[in-house]
Amino acid sequence: MSTTALSIGGETVTTKLAMRMEDSLQAFAVRAACFIGELDVPYSEEFDGHDFGATHIIAYVGDEPVGTLRVRWFQSFAMPERLAVIQRFRGHNIGQLLLERARKLAESRGCNMLYAQVLPADVKYWEKQGWRRLVAEDASAGDKRIVAVVKAVDPSKPLPAVEAPESVVLRREAQLDATGLPLGTASN
Amino acid sequence: MTESKAAAMSNRPVVTIKLATTSDELMQCYMLRAAVFMGEQHCPYWEEFDGNDYTASHLMLYVDGEPAASMRVRWFASFAKLERAIILKRYRSFGLFIPFVNWAREFCRKKGYRKAYLHAQHRLWPIFERMGFHKVDDQVFHFSDHEYGAFVCDLDVDERTMPTVFTDPMVLNRPEDRLDLPGILEDSMDRGASNPHAEWTERRAN
Repeated sequence: MSTTALSIGGETVTTKLAMRMEDSLQAFAVRAACFIGELDVPYSEEFDGHDFGATHIIAYVGDEPVGTLRVRWFQSFAMPERLAVIQRFRGHNIGQLLLERARKLAESRGCNMLYAQVLPADVKYWEKQGWRRLVAEDASAGDKRIVAVVKAVDPSKPLPAVEAPESVVLRREAQLDATGLPLGTASN
Repeated sequence: MTESKAAAMSNRPVVTIKLATTSDELMQCYMLRAAVFMGEQHCPYWEEFDGNDYTASHLMLYVDGEPAASMRVRWFASFAKLERAIILKRYRSFGLFIPFVNWAREFCRKKGYRKAYLHAQHRLWPIFERMGFHKVDDQVFHFSDHEYGAFVCDLDVDERTMPTVFTDPMVLNRPEDRLDLPGILEDSMDRGASNPHAEWTERRAN
């Protein structure tokens, strides 16, 4: 396992759960910087309507918000997603710190499986962090845009093999209410 | 052919500018600024969200309903200060900046402000000069890694229509970017004045 830097440039690295409105804004601002500013994702895709049913974890260097992770809660698993770290703070394992905080949170809630959807190019990295493909590579057909990976919340209790077909586990979650999407209101 | 029909048939993007009036629109404004200033220009969070957001008006520009640009306006006694103006990267070739600044100036003018003031990044000075802004003085100052000059532009306020203390009170109650249209409080006038809290004051007096 990689070690996590506890300080960067003399500033302490901490994580916390978003509890107040200002905390949530910091989490959203970090995502906007990374996904909208750097990767050119449209606003309405980034803020997809699931932010107010999820838990947000924020990483700070000193008092500067530099990273964030969203965790969505399902009946049989917890889903970390929207992992973002501000460009100039990358390379310090802040992402791992956030994922570990999510794992501990899932543990405290009695959850036993973490589930994530990652880019094919990133699968090796996730495997190094103790995740495994939900469906064995040779069992899946063709090129995939995203790959489902899972990890046991408690490493001493490995997950049983899951037999759900990929077409089921990789489907997009139905939007809760399409009219409630945070699109620009100008066109309404 | 009506204008809306023509717009529906054209494949040109529909651009809408409005005052941010809901918490969703405010969030869109903040996220666009985070994308541009924190994501592209590497500005620290606490410099970008500097504590002045809740004393300001925020303007939003949408392209086909998608948040594309924003600007913050702060109100001083004798001038309005335009600041934090950004356009999302993918919308930068659309020629949105000048119409957006013009909309902001018109908004300030209709509110009765005779001056629009701004701090312009050095590279943008020629654009603002072409738009009728001029430098306040020769001073050049810098903050958040950029060099700035202070610019001002005179606005041609209409004495007859600008809001004053003698303006119809119900006009002053209207949404600020639509002072010429009836607002929701004018609809409430149908309910009459039942003065439901009058007895509270009576109770206190006894």
